[in-house]
Amino acid sequence: MSERTVELTNPSGLHARPAKVFAEAAAGLDATVTVSKGEREVNAASVLSVLTLDCHQGDRITIRAEGDGANEAVDHLVALVDEGLGEEPT
Amino acid sequence: MKRLSGRAAARGAALAPAALLHSAEVTTDADPSGPPDEERRRLEDALARAAQQLHGLAEQVTADVGTEEGEIFEAHAAFAQDPELGGRAKELIDEGASAEAAVTAAFDGFRELLAASDSEYLSARAADLDDVRDRALTLLVGRSVEVDVPDEPSVIVAHELTPSQTASIPRRVIAALVTETGSPTSHAAILARSLGVPAVVGVAGIVELLDDGSQLAVDGDAGEVVIDPDEDARTEIEERVAEAERRRAELEELRDEPGCTADGHRIELAANIGGDADLELAATTGAEGSGLVRTEFLYLDRDDAPNVDEQAAFVEKALTAFPGHRVVVRTLDVGADKPLPFVERDPEPNPALGLRGIRLSLADPDAFREQLRAFLRGQEAAGDRAGQLAIMFPLLSVPSELTEARCHLDEVANEEHAELDGVEVGVMIETPAAALAAGQFAAGCDFLSIGTNDLLQYLFAADRLNAEVATLADAAAPVVLRLIGEVVRAAHSEGAWVGVCGEAASDPALAVALVGLGVDELSMTAAAIPEIKATLRSVTRDDCRTATERAMAQPDAATARDVLGAPPVS
Repeated sequence: MSERTVELTNPSGLHARPAKVFAEAAAGLDATVTVSKGEREVNAASVLSVLTLDCHQGDRITIRAEGDGANEAVDHLVALVDEGLGEEPT
Repeated sequence: MKRLSGRAAARGAALAPAALLHSAEVTTDADPSGPPDEERRRLEDALARAAQQLHGLAEQVTADVGTEEGEIFEAHAAFAQDPELGGRAKELIDEGASAEAAVTAAFDGFRELLAASDSEYLSARAADLDDVRDRALTLLVGRSVEVDVPDEPSVIVAHELTPSQTASIPRRVIAALVTETGSPTSHAAILARSLGVPAVVGVAGIVELLDDGSQLAVDGDAGEVVIDPDEDARTEIEERVAEAERRRAELEELRDEPGCTADGHRIELAANIGGDADLELAATTGAEGSGLVRTEFLYLDRDDAPNVDEQAAFVEKALTAFPGHRVVVRTLDVGADKPLPFVERDPEPNPALGLRGIRLSLADPDAFREQLRAFLRGQEAAGDRAGQLAIMFPLLSVPSELTEARCHLDEVANEEHAELDGVEVGVMIETPAAALAAGQFAAGCDFLSIGTNDLLQYLFAADRLNAEVATLADAAAPVVLRLIGEVVRAAHSEGAWVGVCGEAASDPALAVALVGLGVDELSMTAAAIPEIKATLRSVTRDDCRTATERAMAQPDAATARDVLGAPPVS
């Protein structure tokens, strides 16, 4: 298992297109990945579930992965978040 | 205010509240129709198809409206394929739910989570989820979607209008029709023209961009729809509505005049009839008989075939409606876009090219003969003071089909002791093969009737229900005009008359061309007759010929249309 906590820097947080970019990236990985904010932990590959976390810019999320390639999976998603999930920074 | 464009499908203008036809009120049968495996397969299929439709819409909207709007649909497509949502639905199926109930419950579960959020963005997504759910449910239940019918005249908006849906909407509440899919020859467009209301089709994304209660301004000439129009746009459309009213009053005065050109060349202007409502409308628009009575509607929305008496009663009614005129009744024409539950057929990979029209009738001669029997009995019951029965066969491709069909007719007439002397027999020219063999067909019957809708679809290999290719098949194309000219020449040399009963007959510019090509009768939706009558009475036969020759010399349909739109006035 691998786990990292990261701050959302992109303007929309995990909403709109960034939520879709994030979930699609998670779905494309071998590992089973979850994302959590506070108490709630959801399937990172489900854009609907990710949306329900209602994560905004500045929120801290925890990405957790299990199975083959768990480390790489977390690294990949953290990098994606750091890059702003395809969104231009403001 | 938001302006969207599509394709003009029926002329006129309207300003009315939008009524979205969706399947929100689908009665989701809680009892599964099959074992869990089957229900899971149906679920996966419906969700995959919903996602596919939404991807397609996203592309179209991105191109037509913008990237931002397109992304809305990409997100919707992602909702349809969401693994948690799909997983939840499958769990419910394993617990004994139907696919419909599982879809509803899974979507509604997420909907509640989103709606409960303080975030305005997330609560707005709840409504998106409803749209995706409805799309999936519509795909699950297929044709039998119940529609929410508005109480007041409204602009009916739908992704696609199926014949059974349109049948369930009372005509008085239809102020205009707008669909996301389709072409000017799709069902929605044909319905709109038959009602005399404007229609715009191929308006990508409108279902999701609308809220219930939005005002819509519909411009059926420009092919434009405005959501929540501002003051200027409202004024503009209101003027157009008033103008259309004035024009209607002018046309009313020509009602009892015969169809002819300015120099008195006679063209019969007949009505296409698809049910009782059309008979009523035809009576008010001055139709000179019917060039196409569709019998399919007698078969729709029921579980068994209509018996001889029911069919005969309708034929009698149709004949009685047109005393002194000819009434062309067509034998059953079911196929790809109008399957019947009680006609058992193996699924076909390519139904538009399959067992339909006369092919189906000849494959099931008992049912075919029952129809012919009903036609003859209807004529007998209607008596001499009613209109004169003519019988027409659909979708022939080789002359032997006509020989075989006539053989059945002769035998049935014999059994019924009916006289066939006054009963003209005709063939629809809908396949390129039949058009090219028109002379041979004409030698074996009394008239040919060109069904332009199917002829175009087969000539251009372009599905008329597919908005992406439907524009290829334009009746004004020089190749179409040349082909029709050949059919007329071949038929006349065999002494047969020629009618046109496709949608082209109701297009003023094309009506001029058809008269120029020598067509003897135009049969169209009854609402179009006054406009066509006025158009033809304003031009001479030579004007029509000249315009048509110029049109045939054009490189494509668009330029041909320009030429036809302005026939020279002598």
